[in-house]
Amino acid sequence: MSFVSNLLLATVRMAVPLLFIALAELYSERAGMVNIGLEGLAAIGSLVGFLVCFISGSTWLGILCGALAGIAVNMIYAVATVSLCADHTVYGMAMNIFAPALASFIYRVYFGAGSDLSQIELMRGIGLPVLKDIPFLGDLLFNQTPMVYIAFALVAFTVVFFNKTRAGLNYKSVGEHPKAAATLGIDVIRVKYLACVICGALAGIGGAYLTTCYSNTYSEGTVAGRGFIALAAVIFGRWSGGGVLLACLFFGFCDALQIRLQVASFGLPYQFFQMIPYLATIVVLAAIGAKKAGPKASGKPYRREER
Amino acid sequence: MKKLIALILALAMSLALAACGGSSSGSGSGSASGSSGGSSGGSASGGASEAKTYKVAMICDSSISDGGWGAACYNAMIDAAAKKGWETAYTDSIAQSEYYDSIASYCSLGYDMIYAPGNQYTDAVLQAAEEYPDIAFALLNGAESTPAKAKNGNVSSLLPNAQQIGWIAGALAGLMTESGTIAFIGGMELDTTKAKYAGFGEAASYVAAQEGKTVKLLDCVYAGSFDDSAKGIEFANAMIDQGADVFFGDASAVDSGARQAIDNTNKAAGSVKIYDIAQPADILGQNECIICSQVTDNSAMIAASMEAVEAGSFGGETLYGSLQNGALSAGAISDLVPKDIQDKYQAYLDQMVSDTFMK
Repeated sequence: MSFVSNLLLATVRMAVPLLFIALAELYSERAGMVNIGLEGLAAIGSLVGFLVCFISGSTWLGILCGALAGIAVNMIYAVATVSLCADHTVYGMAMNIFAPALASFIYRVYFGAGSDLSQIELMRGIGLPVLKDIPFLGDLLFNQTPMVYIAFALVAFTVVFFNKTRAGLNYKSVGEHPKAAATLGIDVIRVKYLACVICGALAGIGGAYLTTCYSNTYSEGTVAGRGFIALAAVIFGRWSGGGVLLACLFFGFCDALQIRLQVASFGLPYQFFQMIPYLATIVVLAAIGAKKAGPKASGKPYRREER
Repeated sequence: MKKLIALILALAMSLALAACGGSSSGSGSGSASGSSGGSSGGSASGGASEAKTYKVAMICDSSISDGGWGAACYNAMIDAAAKKGWETAYTDSIAQSEYYDSIASYCSLGYDMIYAPGNQYTDAVLQAAEEYPDIAFALLNGAESTPAKAKNGNVSSLLPNAQQIGWIAGALAGLMTESGTIAFIGGMELDTTKAKYAGFGEAASYVAAQEGKTVKLLDCVYAGSFDDSAKGIEFANAMIDQGADVFFGDASAVDSGARQAIDNTNKAAGSVKIYDIAQPADILGQNECIICSQVTDNSAMIAASMEAVEAGSFGGETLYGSLQNGALSAGAISDLVPKDIQDKYQAYLDQMVSDTFMK
């Protein structure tokens, strides 16, 4: 029993940063912007979040500044791809190279190279009264940091927004058929910029979560590929809020499971356990089918005057 | 107009990249590099301005600011360079695919010595050593057999005794464990990591047996990364669930994650009952759970290599780092370790130095 509940606790811990970053991509892709630069956005978010928290002592301020840093860096991508119609993949990749290097640079300017590790006080968990005393589920769902609640609330909001609100449907139409959307009076360029702001903010928060709510130190490369896994989670989750949540929990679960199995050790080589997340992905993708279900105009530049 | 803006943006980005990427590798995800003069250069070079200034470059797959392996190796180079008046440069956080390119670019820039701190660089170093016969390659944690494989005889292994590293931590773990379960977290499956794990286990078992205890060392786990501190948290949590109460590791930032998880568990329990032994620098006090550090002083071995380069006698040998020659040691011990155990531990360390441990 404790194995299962600890495993699920670890699953939630590992899934939440993924969830923020994957939601960032979801909002981006729903407006037709394929942003593969999540890794970079999260990297700058993690550094700025940590640094601000280290200086000010406030995790909330850290997360806010992490979001702002993500937006600022993502604006380079936005101008290049929306206004200048540049290739999404090329600029996304450029973000992945540029932003982590910028983060390293800032860290070393501030702390000096080869310095000791600096630590911060992490955001404290808040248990929801009554609910947290429910056996098993209480600890899992209702005794977490506020950021975890925010992540789950954001999923619920996303589901409602994209399916039940006029604004959400308008937003989605930009990703499906921007010209048709434009004829209906939707300002396509504005929606795309808005998407980039949301994407930058959420990916920055995802990065900042890692260094203000999860790990109390900053190390370069702390994002460790989560940007790319989040990208996969969006495809895996069929571009829907609920799907993305399930995909992130699934990836989190597989990773938590492989760690626990390595430790429990059944005399098997550890590589077998390290394979689990990847094997599971292949199996599930094969099972649910890889039919293209994403926004139709994803990754295509929008030129207003072109026919 | 749009083209112009695009051009300016592209230019700005490439300039920013160049600024961060330094003289060499700018292609890595987040790799950084930098250089600095030997700190004694300013005052010492006055009289001998014509003398050649030697240059050493370090490559590293983890960050030099990781508060662990990378930082310790970088500081060792800086210390040795300050002593010898060498100039230094580094490129860190590089991917495996960039090992060779990073080394080769420093070679073509005319560096006198390449310092590669890790067993994982062996192949890249051997390849570069063949193509740049006049440059010295110092491979930290290189195998004893590696120098002989270099056709030009320009590779030396700097080899801290991994078994003794394991012993230093293991003896204390054997004395301190109450649950009888101890744990080790590795970054990648390297020969040196495996040797440390083995040494850790055998010393702990031996010492515990002397105390009338038995010790179980959990299987070696690998995070598959040296940067992902979140993984360290999860590994440590899982191992604590298995009853582990003394930790040792070989995984840089992953270790710092593990220490955080241990601290959290101790905090929740209200007393420090789970301990960590740090490495490779003395970082007692960084976390509450650290009871001691296994210290590896690589700077002496690097300085010896630098002397050999200056004398023109570098290459083809293995420089050993051990308890006996002072390259390995145990750092300061925390008050969490009772006085009588500290004395016993010191006795075991003395046995290791006099080569009578486990004999």
